[in-house]
Amino acid sequence: MSKATEVISPDTSAPHSGQVNGGHLHDDHEHHDHIPKGITRWLFTTNHKDIGTLYLWFAFIMFLVGGAMAMVIRAELFQPGLQIVEPNFFNQMTTVHGLIMVFGAVMPAFTGLANWLIPMMIGAPDMALPRMNNWSFWILPGAFLILLSSLFMEGGGPAFGWTFYAPLSTTYSGDSTALFVFSIHIMGISSIMGAINVIVTIFNMRAPGMTWMKMPLFVWTWLITAFLLIAVMPVLAGAVTMVLTDKFFGTSFFDAAGGGDPVMFQHIFWFFGHPEVYIMILPAFGIISQIVPTFSRKQLFGCVYGVRHGVDCAALFCCMGSPYVHHGHAGVHGNVFHVCHHAYLGAYWCKSV
Amino acid sequence: MKQLTTVFAKWCSSIPILLFSPLLFAQEASEEASSLNLRRGATDISGQVYDLHMLMFFICVGIAVVVFGVMFASMYLHRKSRGAKPANFHENVKVEIAWTVIPFLILIFMAVPAANTLIAMEDTSEPDMTVLVTGSQWKWHYKYMDSDVEFYSLLATQREQIENKFQKTDNYLLEVDRPLVIPTGKKVRFLITSDDVIHSWWVPDFAVKKDANPGFINESWAKVNEPGIYRGQCAELCGKDHGYMPVVVIAKEPAEFEKWMGEQEEIVRKAKEEEQRLLSMNMSMDELMKEGERVYNATCAACHMPNGEGLPGVFPALKGSKMALEDQQGHIDIVLHGKSGTAMQAFGKMLSLKEIAAVVTYERNAWGNKTGDMVQAKDVNAVANGN
Repeated sequence: MSKATEVISPDTSAPHSGQVNGGHLHDDHEHHDHIPKGITRWLFTTNHKDIGTLYLWFAFIMFLVGGAMAMVIRAELFQPGLQIVEPNFFNQMTTVHGLIMVFGAVMPAFTGLANWLIPMMIGAPDMALPRMNNWSFWILPGAFLILLSSLFMEGGGPAFGWTFYAPLSTTYSGDSTALFVFSIHIMGISSIMGAINVIVTIFNMRAPGMTWMKMPLFVWTWLITAFLLIAVMPVLAGAVTMVLTDKFFGTSFFDAAGGGDPVMFQHIFWFFGHPEVYIMILPAFGIISQIVPTFSRKQLFGCVYGVRHGVDCAALFCCMGSPYVHHGHAGVHGNVFHVCHHAYLGAYWCKSV
Repeated sequence: MKQLTTVFAKWCSSIPILLFSPLLFAQEASEEASSLNLRRGATDISGQVYDLHMLMFFICVGIAVVVFGVMFASMYLHRKSRGAKPANFHENVKVEIAWTVIPFLILIFMAVPAANTLIAMEDTSEPDMTVLVTGSQWKWHYKYMDSDVEFYSLLATQREQIENKFQKTDNYLLEVDRPLVIPTGKKVRFLITSDDVIHSWWVPDFAVKKDANPGFINESWAKVNEPGIYRGQCAELCGKDHGYMPVVVIAKEPAEFEKWMGEQEEIVRKAKEEEQRLLSMNMSMDELMKEGERVYNATCAACHMPNGEGLPGVFPALKGSKMALEDQQGHIDIVLHGKSGTAMQAFGKMLSLKEIAAVVTYERNAWGNKTGDMVQAKDVNAVANGN
């Protein structure tokens, strides 16, 4: 893999473009295109396309695993009464299904596409931090191994829903909560590293002439997504850490008896949870905004406004949406705000198409 | 398999209804409770919610018709085979402003009546009576604030129906042993809280769905117009038996309600007398075991399981447990007062002294726990009074 400067500078790109110096070209090949064989090729790869492929395959496998759990859920619900699984295991299925689909299928799938497409779309030779790229992928399988293995613990895996509302996830949960918390931490670290990589790549490695306003909308939406990730994943990490200490170390963050507040959990969780919805949808908006103009052979209508809306979204969701727990309709607040919010996003979606 | 085909047939037959539902609902409006649409319910508030729902639904339908109409018409009329040439313009400030301002105005148009209803829903001032609703794993407790009457409301559906051994009845999982009774035409305020995890008290016909948070009290209210039986469920995942803690409310005419209330107060008074009388009486082992088994299956078996083995890692086993075999005082104490920091509730206010005596005896002698211990009401009373 050549360096970014080589593409730009005519001097160093000469050996690539012309057959001026055969010997040099050969050396270049041996030095740069040496690919380790077998599993090490994938374990040690720093190539953005390889890592993108790994992400996409991982997301697909997790999609099947989470999908199998959804099948268990639907098979049980096909008729009233208990048929296949016990209620406690059913709750584990809904919980782990949710976690896998959010953190194991949707998010890695978009990170995979980002790895593949962003360098090519902005004219960069690779992601800015290739080794961190490798690491941010390879800690994921471990995280999901921990999460899935908790299902085989005594008392079963997490059974409190993917939103893990306290105190169901603290005082009233099983011991597998520790594994749940640890795996969420690792997934969060992976997401944050992926997001840092995207931001650094887009800020520093655009080809000459690739100005901000010329950047494809997919790159734009991923840039916004990456900022959202960095803003909210630490909040999730904070929430799960408080769950951990409430359950195992006698703190009372979410226990009224010790001066805490279970509703505070919902505020903190949705400070992560609401932007998370847009983390999962913005890259998809970006993809649609690439595909439709391509196949309709028309420039995107109002591209500039689309970008502006994307940035607005990020600001709005982070600053306004989250602290008001507008998902907790029955809990504390009304839902007028929620309706407005999503209508705004709906409008954005329509026009970006 | 036969059941599956019927389900499928029912589902298929509902497709035409689904397609023409907007028209149907417009005509039926307030008439029957539909299985597809939101229900009009039994209170003025629920009626307002229904009207808002229909208003917004038709606005959505209108927008969909316009948007998809333009979209499909342009796709059809300007297709390539008709020789359409794409236009090349791609920015238009006027259009951008128009389709930002119009949705904003539509939102305001919907938000004004919605906010009014929301404010009315939250107005719990000047109630005619107040009921304290407390959720716990997995049952509801109702306490009338102006009298001594309070009781637990447990799922009444037989275990055999859930396990597909008996035919399921119409109100499968929506029936309780003791429903909440309220008067019609009176503003009833509900104070909603929880003993353990977060539950949510939901009665669709009252348009009431309010979280029950441990350590905090939420408020809601309903003024029911028509006498009847109204059913709901817990609406916040609260653990294993979340699906087995329904809400049933019976609304009676005020006169009938007063009569019912009088009866309940009489029952409470008699139960207290009975309790005192029992303190000086001893029950036989057979009586204790029989009563104990009934109480155990109704109250304890949800967690500790009918075979006393619990759920390893979640709920501890009673069969062969140290407490059930040796520590009798501790055993009575944990049933009476619960164990803080765990799912073990305090059953002192839910069960009578006699019932606790019976269930402790049962737990110390069932499933091979052959201690031979007999616990009497007075033993329980002694622990309750701190002796």
